[in-house]
Amino acid sequence: MNLAQPGRQLLREPLVHFLIAGAAVFWLLSGRAPDLGERRIVVNEQVVSGLVQRWTDTFRRPPSQDEIDGLIRDYVQDQVYYREALSLGLDQEDEVVVRRMRRKMESLAVAEAESAEPGDAVLQAMIDKDPARYSDDARTSFDQIYLGADNPANRAAADAALTRLRKGEQVAGVAAPLPSHQDEASDEAIAGTYGDEFVLALRRTPPGQWAGPVASGLGLHLVRIAARTAPTKPSLDKVRQRVTNDWRAAAIARARDESYRRILEGYDVVIVRPK
Amino acid sequence: MRKTALFAATMLMGSMLVAGCERVDQAMRGDTKVAETAYPERVYWGDTHLHTSNSVDAFGFGNRLDPEAALRFARGEEVASTTGTKAKLARPLDFLVIADHAEGLGATKALYEAPRLLITDPTMRRWYDMMHEGPEGSQRAMAEILDARGRNALPEAMLNQADAAKRTKSVWNDHIDTVERYNEPGKFTAFLGFEYTLMQGGNNLHRNVIFRDGPDRVKTVTPIDPTYKATPDEIWAYMEAYEKATGGKVLAIPHNSNLSNGLMFELTQPGGGPMTADYARRRARLEPVVEVTQIKGDSESHPFLSPNDEFSGYGTAGWELNNLIGNQPKVPGMYAGEYVREALKRGLLIEQRTGVNPYKFGMIGSTDSHTSLATADDNQFFGKHSGNEPKAERATQQQNLGTNRNRFGWQYLASGYAGVWAKANTRGAIFDALMRKEVYATTGPRMTVRVFGGWDFTAGDLTGDWVKAGYARGVPMGGELKAGGKGAPSFILSALKDPIGANLDRVQVVKGWIDRAGVAREKVFDVVWSDMDRRKPAGGKVPTVGDTVDVMKATYANSIGAPSLATVWRDPEFDPSVRAFYYVRVIEIPTPSWVAYDRLRFNLTLPPEIPLKQQERAYTSPIWYTPG
Repeated sequence: MNLAQPGRQLLREPLVHFLIAGAAVFWLLSGRAPDLGERRIVVNEQVVSGLVQRWTDTFRRPPSQDEIDGLIRDYVQDQVYYREALSLGLDQEDEVVVRRMRRKMESLAVAEAESAEPGDAVLQAMIDKDPARYSDDARTSFDQIYLGADNPANRAAADAALTRLRKGEQVAGVAAPLPSHQDEASDEAIAGTYGDEFVLALRRTPPGQWAGPVASGLGLHLVRIAARTAPTKPSLDKVRQRVTNDWRAAAIARARDESYRRILEGYDVVIVRPK
Repeated sequence: MRKTALFAATMLMGSMLVAGCERVDQAMRGDTKVAETAYPERVYWGDTHLHTSNSVDAFGFGNRLDPEAALRFARGEEVASTTGTKAKLARPLDFLVIADHAEGLGATKALYEAPRLLITDPTMRRWYDMMHEGPEGSQRAMAEILDARGRNALPEAMLNQADAAKRTKSVWNDHIDTVERYNEPGKFTAFLGFEYTLMQGGNNLHRNVIFRDGPDRVKTVTPIDPTYKATPDEIWAYMEAYEKATGGKVLAIPHNSNLSNGLMFELTQPGGGPMTADYARRRARLEPVVEVTQIKGDSESHPFLSPNDEFSGYGTAGWELNNLIGNQPKVPGMYAGEYVREALKRGLLIEQRTGVNPYKFGMIGSTDSHTSLATADDNQFFGKHSGNEPKAERATQQQNLGTNRNRFGWQYLASGYAGVWAKANTRGAIFDALMRKEVYATTGPRMTVRVFGGWDFTAGDLTGDWVKAGYARGVPMGGELKAGGKGAPSFILSALKDPIGANLDRVQVVKGWIDRAGVAREKVFDVVWSDMDRRKPAGGKVPTVGDTVDVMKATYANSIGAPSLATVWRDPEFDPSVRAFYYVRVIEIPTPSWVAYDRLRFNLTLPPEIPLKQQERAYTSPIWYTPG
C-alpha cells in the first residue's frame, strides 16, 4: 500500500517516462550497435513544456497528467519512427516530405531578405541605376483633332485640314470621347487612351505648330504640342515606398536563387531522358 | 475537442508576420496630395475582384501567389505564375481590389502548413494529404471542400468561429500592410476589401466589400464570415457599424447573380413577402454597383428574358444550367432574378410600389480570377484558378468547381474589367465614382465610353469640348435625368475602340420602362454603327458587321467596323408619365476567344460546339428617368 503510492507518482514523472522510453528504444534497437548521438532521445523540460504549450494553445486548457504522458509517449514514438524512417531512406521517396523540406529550405533562405531594411544608399543606387523607372512621367500639353480611321481618304483629308489649321482656320474633327486639349498629360495616361505608338509619335513632333497626321491605335490625329516637360528626376523621399517594394521583391528572389545555386554547386546532376 | 486543431500553428505563423510588418513606416508613403480634376477627364481601369493564395479555394486550387505578387502584376510587373509561366500584363491596371474570401481567410494555407499531427479530423487529414500530393490532388481536395461547403457539411474543426476570427485577424492585418505598401496615390490605387461569400444552399449571393479608407480605419475591423442566412442583413449591418464607428465609407458589389438561382434580384423581400421600402433603401445605398461580367459568365441579359435582342446571352453557356455549386438545376422562372437588365426593370416596379428602387445600380466588370493574376484579355488569359492556367486540356476539361455538372473549361470568359470615370487615381476619387455609378463594365477590351443624358442636346453638341457641355447641361452615366425637361430626353453617346484592340460594330441604347398598364418592358435601339450608309436596317435590324476572324491563326482585322462611333440620340418613344432607364451597350467586331488562342498555342483539335469567336462588349451604368 505504501509502496503503491510513490510507485504511481513515479509513473507520472516525465523523467521516468523518458528513462522507460529510452530503455524501450534501446531494447527495440538492440540488434544494432547503439550510436548515442542518433540513438538517444532526450525528452527534457523544454520539449515537455513545448508539448504542453501547444496542447494548451490548441485546446484552451492545460493537459491533464495522463494527457501529458500521452503527449510524451507520442513524441517519443514520433522520434523513433522518424529516425528509423530516415535511416531506411523512406523520406526520399515521399513527395510530401520532399516538398515540405524544400519549402523549409526556401523560407530559411529568404527569411533574412524578408526582414532586412535597406539603407538609403542602397535605395538611391537602385534609383540611379534605372531613373526612368522611378521618375515622374514626361508630361505633354497638347491640342488634338481626331480624324477617324487610318485610311487613304482620311490621310488626304488630314493634309488639307492641316493646311487650313496652319492658316488659322477652324477644323472640326470626328466626334470622340477625346479631349481637344490636354494639360500636362503623363505618358502613361496618353498611352492608356491612344496607345504606345502615339506617345512615341508625340515625342518626334516639333512643338508650337499644328502637325500630322499622327497615327494612334484609334486612327489619325492632328496635334499641336504646347509644352513638354522632361521626366522629373526622382527624389528618394518621393519614391521611397516603391523602391523599397522593388528592393524587397528582388532581394527575396535573389536570396532564393542564390541559395539554390550555392547548394546546387555541391551536386552533380545527371539527367537521362527516356528515348 | 478537435475543433481547434489548426490553430496553434497558424497563430504562430500569423504573429511572426504581423510583427515583421509593424515596421512599415507610415511616413514612407509620402502623403502626396493628388489634385482632382474639375470633372472626370480620364477613365481608370481596374479589377475589383481578385483572389490570391489567401483565399481558401484559390490556395486549394494550387495558387501560391500572395497579395504582393498580385499587386505587382496589376501594377505592370512581370511575375511567375503558380505553374511557373512568366506573366506580365500588356498594359498595367490603374487600380486593384484584392477581394479574398473572408470565410476561411488563409484557412487552406493554414491547413496545408499545419503540422499533420495536429489535424485530428480524419476528413481534414485526408484533404491535407491530397493537397500535399501536388496540384491535382490539391484541386480534388478543393472540389470536395467546396462541395462540403455547399452542403453545409464541413468538418466541425473548420467551422470554429473563434479560431477563424483570430486567424482572419492576423492574415488581414498582414494583408493591409502589404496593400498599403503598394497604394500609390496618383499612380496606382490599391484598395482594401474582401469578399463576403454569402450562399444559400449553393446559390450565389456573393458580395465584394470595398473600403474607401486606409489602415487607420480599416484595421479597426476584420472581414466577417457569412452565416447560413439567406439575406445580406449581416454584412449590411457590419458596413453600417463600420461607417458609424470610424466615419469611413464602404460599399458592396454583388456578383454572379447568374448563379443565384433567381435569388440575387428578387421582386419580393428575401424570404418572402412584399419588399419593404427600408430594405430597398438600404440596399440601394450600400450596393451602388453590380459586377455584371466576369470569368464565371456574363449576367447582362438572357435570351429567355430578351427574345428580341440578338446580342443577348453572351457568356451564358454552361452558367445558365444550375447554381454555383451545381446542386440545384435552374428553371427558366429563375432567370428574372439573375440577369441585370431584368433587375433594373424590377427596380422600377418596386419603386412604383414603394417609392424606393433597390436595384438602382451601376455596372462594372471584374475578373474573379483566383490565380492572383488579373487577366481579362483573351490572348493573355490565365484562367479561373491555378488548375486552369494555360495548358492543352483546359478548354475541354470538365470543371469540378464543387460538383458542377455540364460545365466545361471553354465556358469561362476572359472577362472583365471596370472602367471608372474618376477625378483622380486615388482611393477617394475612384470610390466616389463607384458611389455615383459613373462607371462601366467591359468584357475585357478597354473601350472608352461616354454617355450624357439631358433635355436639350442636339447633333451640334458633338463638337469642340462637348464633354464639358455634357456635364454642364446633362448628367453622365449613373445619373438621374432631372425631371421637368421639355420634349424627350436626348443622349450624347460616344465610344472609342480599345487603342490596341478591335474596331466597334455598333452602339446600342437599352431602354427599360414600366408601361401605363404597369408592365415592365424593354427595347434595344441600334443608335449608331459602322458603315451606316452601307448597312441599312432591314426588318428593324441592322445587318451584321461581318467577320474577319481567322480561327486557325487566332487573328482578326480592323478592316471592318469603326474605331469611333458617336451620335446624339433622342428617345423616339418617350412617355413622360412613366419611369425608365437607359444604358448603353457597345459591341465590338468579332474577335477570337481565348480558346482560339489556346487552340493555336497547343495545336488542339476541338469539338465543333466550342465557339472560337465572340463579340466583346461594354455596358454602361444606366441613366434613370423618374416622372416629376
